[in-house]
Amino acid sequence: MNLPKYQLSSSPELSSYEFISEGHKGLIPKRIQFTLVNHQGVYNLAFGDKDPVTGEIDDHTISNNGDSEKVLSTVVSAVFAFLDQHPDAWIYASGSTATRTRLYQMGISRFLDDISENLDIYGQIGDQWYPFERNKPYEAFLTKRKFS
Amino acid sequence: MKTIEELNNSKVPIVIIDPKLAELDKKVLFPEKVEKAKATIAKIGLPAKRQSR
Repeated sequence: MNLPKYQLSSSPELSSYEFISEGHKGLIPKRIQFTLVNHQGVYNLAFGDKDPVTGEIDDHTISNNGDSEKVLSTVVSAVFAFLDQHPDAWIYASGSTATRTRLYQMGISRFLDDISENLDIYGQIGDQWYPFERNKPYEAFLTKRKFS
Repeated sequence: MKTIEELNNSKVPIVIIDPKLAELDKKVLFPEKVEKAKATIAKIGLPAKRQSR
């Protein structure tokens, strides 16, 4: 996947990442974190803007810096970096708001043909997981590396 | 050791390891979302079947 993406910095465990979005609103630092959810190796993907003054992370606002595709490409690359070190992990993601969930879905749809070569991707509708398809109204997402 | 071509074509990015970011691992971002993930998986489980390649 050779789409433009930002340079990632990571903790030594490859669980926390930071990068800086550059756009018409200036420089916006962002953070990604993978947190273990349960004994089945499920990790939650958290993503948001970092307040440069307080250091707090906000996952509700959409910063509209004019680089959403590059930001999503960067988040996807963090997923690959994490899975490279945790090859059996499941990654769960959902937006803090319906708008952000929709944004994640748009990002997955945008890169689907490329990332589905290496990842099994599922979307949640009600009490079921379904193989991800474009234009379906999912509530959350789950992904895992395909068997090699 | 991977070739330059392999590195350029890899989906795994080149990441700068910053030891200072180890502090970030100690604080869970949005614990309520982690709880939501836990509750969802506890309720509906994981996908039963792997997708074919």
